[in-house]
Amino acid sequence: MILKALISSLFAGLLELDNVQAGQFLVSRPAFAGPLLGWLNGCPVEGARMGILIELIYLDFIPVGGVVPPNGLVAAAAAVLALAWAGLPESTAFFFGIMAGFLYGKVEYRLRVSRSSWIKGIETDARNGAILLERNLAGSLLAESAVSGLYIFLFSGLAAVLAAPLLRAEPGTLFRVSDLAYSLMPWLGLSGLYFRFRTQVYKNK
Amino acid sequence: MNTEPDKNQAPGSGLITNHQPLATIFFRSFFIQAGWNYERLQNLGFAFAIMPALRKIYAPGEKLGAAVLRHLGLFNTQPYMAGFVIGNIVRMEEELALMPAGGAGSGTAAFEKKMLEVKAALSSGFAAIGDRIFWGRLKPLTTQLCIVIWALAGFYGWLFTNTVPGVPLPVLFGGPLAGIALYGGGAVYLRWQGLKKGYACGGTASCGLDAVNWPALIRLLSVAGFALSLLIVAGAFGMLIEQNWNGAHKGGLILRAALALGVMVLQRVVRKSGRSIFFAMGLILAASAVVVIFERSGLHL
Repeated sequence: MILKALISSLFAGLLELDNVQAGQFLVSRPAFAGPLLGWLNGCPVEGARMGILIELIYLDFIPVGGVVPPNGLVAAAAAVLALAWAGLPESTAFFFGIMAGFLYGKVEYRLRVSRSSWIKGIETDARNGAILLERNLAGSLLAESAVSGLYIFLFSGLAAVLAAPLLRAEPGTLFRVSDLAYSLMPWLGLSGLYFRFRTQVYKNK
Repeated sequence: MNTEPDKNQAPGSGLITNHQPLATIFFRSFFIQAGWNYERLQNLGFAFAIMPALRKIYAPGEKLGAAVLRHLGLFNTQPYMAGFVIGNIVRMEEELALMPAGGAGSGTAAFEKKMLEVKAALSSGFAAIGDRIFWGRLKPLTTQLCIVIWALAGFYGWLFTNTVPGVPLPVLFGGPLAGIALYGGGAVYLRWQGLKKGYACGGTASCGLDAVNWPALIRLLSVAGFALSLLIVAGAFGMLIEQNWNGAHKGGLILRAALALGVMVLQRVVRKSGRSIFFAMGLILAASAVVVIFERSGLHL
């Protein structure tokens, strides 16, 4: 299972490139990545449900300018692996994924900051006639993919470590709380969707 | 092909008559955000995208290096709209290469300054349009499309989280893939048309901004999204009623409908107060904990 989780994480890391860095065709959207990773891990319906709910919740964030929103792909992948690998109930895995996606925003921010330091070197190279943009961008893609893949793997591993004692102990209360809250998430997401467009149509009224 | 352009060639005709560099630029424009950084934003991606044109326009050496440095300055726009700016700037670089060389204060220096001004003006203009169209409307519309396709195929499992219905894989993937096809297709088309349009009218700061009636398009997408939202929310409540309608006890149905409505109101109030949706999620988790603790202690609300 660890190998499968690692492969799923690295695959998710590849998909993650579509989120910002390459293409942006939306193949990294949680509603697609959720069922896809769920299918690879034997839980496509749960993956689809967690994926669409993560997508609805994360629609609240718009990636304009330098804003780094919570990462939906990372959230969906971590949620699926928390369910399939760690064995957490779906509701708990969902909230675990939401947290993973939120925290990954900080990692993504650091990656962007680190690329700022490249510019002086690239400019110096260009002045000396060496234009190595291709190499720099390939490095950037590789780093982003590897970091996100490993982050998903480690975060899901953390879920697996935490889940074992939780599942052994009396988990009724904790999981009942997440079950109840999870059952209300579709309405939270739908509200965001509805008011997003309502505000656009009636913004001057 | 590192050759200087033919000095007798008409300005701007170097690439458009040969689609190969334009196609390469188009391909590279998909990586416009690959080197996103906080100092100059999309500058690395922009320079990377126009490199095939620069390599065609300038021979390796000082002029090529100067052109690359020119485009390593701050740049930021909506990625799907970048084609308009890229095409425009490629055309202006071609024109610049055909101008007689001169020092500071010469025609080339003024043209270089104008090029950077056009680039800045277009990038912010298209960012404002693109953000509204793609992030503000089309992306949520693809989510709606997914929900509608799933509903039409009879999959409501996302709404009732305690069920695990058997759903054929084509249905599960059909919902999100329809949105990807629609959105991705539109984005690819706009990238290519933007590149061609930008190249064709290069040199003007309004180039492409009037290519489409953007405000009308934005309005249309808003209205379509709102209509679909209404349909989905009404359908969701309809499904909630159907699932909980057992004729004898209406208490459960009323409680569930009130909870759903309450969550929607909570989301609105929280967002209106300027807080994130995570705050609403935290409140729901806290309220759920209170309810469960009451249940476990034998008390009933």
